[in-house]
Amino acid sequence: MEELAIRVEGVVQRRKHFQLGPVQLRIPKGYVTALVGPNGSGKSSLFRLLMDLSKPDEGEIEVFGHPIGCDDLLLKQRIGYVPDQAIDIEDHLRAEDKASFARHWYPTWELNRYQELLRRFEVDPSIKLGRMSKGMRRKFDIALAMAHHPDLLLLDEPSSGLDPIAWKTMIDVIHRYMERGDRTVLMASHIVDEVKRLADYIVFIVHGRVLGMFEKDALLESWYTLYIDGAGRSLEWKAMPGFYTQEAVGSGQFKVVTGDVAEAEEWCEREGLRIAGRQKLELDDILAILIEQERLRMQA
Amino acid sequence: MWIPIQINEQSAEPLYHQIEVQLRALIVSGQLAEGTLLPSIRELAQMVKCSVITVRRVYQDLENEGLLRTRQGTGTFVAKVGEEMRDKHRRSSVIEAFEAAVDAGLRVQCTDAEMREMLESVLVRKRDEDKGGG
Repeated sequence: MEELAIRVEGVVQRRKHFQLGPVQLRIPKGYVTALVGPNGSGKSSLFRLLMDLSKPDEGEIEVFGHPIGCDDLLLKQRIGYVPDQAIDIEDHLRAEDKASFARHWYPTWELNRYQELLRRFEVDPSIKLGRMSKGMRRKFDIALAMAHHPDLLLLDEPSSGLDPIAWKTMIDVIHRYMERGDRTVLMASHIVDEVKRLADYIVFIVHGRVLGMFEKDALLESWYTLYIDGAGRSLEWKAMPGFYTQEAVGSGQFKVVTGDVAEAEEWCEREGLRIAGRQKLELDDILAILIEQERLRMQA
Repeated sequence: MWIPIQINEQSAEPLYHQIEVQLRALIVSGQLAEGTLLPSIRELAQMVKCSVITVRRVYQDLENEGLLRTRQGTGTFVAKVGEEMRDKHRRSSVIEAFEAAVDAGLRVQCTDAEMREMLESVLVRKRDEDKGGG
């Protein structure tokens, strides 16, 4: 196994209306891992636990091999964090004031890097944070989180509020940040295109539970809708590898969804079935299927 | 640097295979000359919109075949491709394309004779086009 950036071991956090976990998670160093899941599935709670902004009821968390929750100042200096919500008690601060406060805490903070990021994102640092538009505030938060060259970036829905141009800039900034090869990004996102462009690994999280971690390309290459010529036979679709659903779509054809397309196609060949068409599933379709499968599993 | 790799999103071929076949072809055909520094793994991944895991796998495969070599800290370079290897690869990419064509023929129940005839007529037409085109 590769070197780990984050190790989450049996973490449980109980709240009145929500339980996170038990979460088991290993985030490899040197990659972009996307946390994907519906609203309220526990992504932000997980980020707060990683930053020790809240405590787990059970379990332990390690970042770069050091436990979170004790004297972790040195560790925090290696992390850049963009929370899901801007901190409103800072609304009266000018951007430059917040930056000069932040730089005290990070020995590796670099003014040139900070200014370069502000330029790229077109942020005016003389504006009060509370006066910034949502997108501007977001861009400022991202720039600030990256100005000390962190080894680990925790981004909680970084693109919320960004316009398409700023969004492209952000994607590019993250790509360049990763160029060195030894840095790690963990980001929550439900924007399909963002995950497709940035992520190497995808972690699905639903109702506080991790449904699985997947290599992005392998995942997107395994889920397909196949249009199959039924040849007028009655077929045992459930025997097809990775079978999820099927429906008759007229003229003897069936639309079949499989999560193991390579095996499914071999199965079709053995059964003497002709595949008339094939279509990749999008990430959000795959997520919907995994959620449904989890629901059925919980019921059983 | 930019590398002309085209990904077909709906193709049955896995991404890593598409990238590998095209990159191999660029190297053995000499379009990427010996000593050329390839993009970093992250850069190429970004170019073709796939993960670094996929690109790393491609670089690794081609390195094992002797087509690429990696210098620690500097990057991945195109290696010297011997005549024998060049010829082997030159043929293998064509054989692969023929295989795909034969598969297409088999799917619609073409006979061997029919397929030979088709190949023959495609050859004649393409050679003519070549001459006509200049």
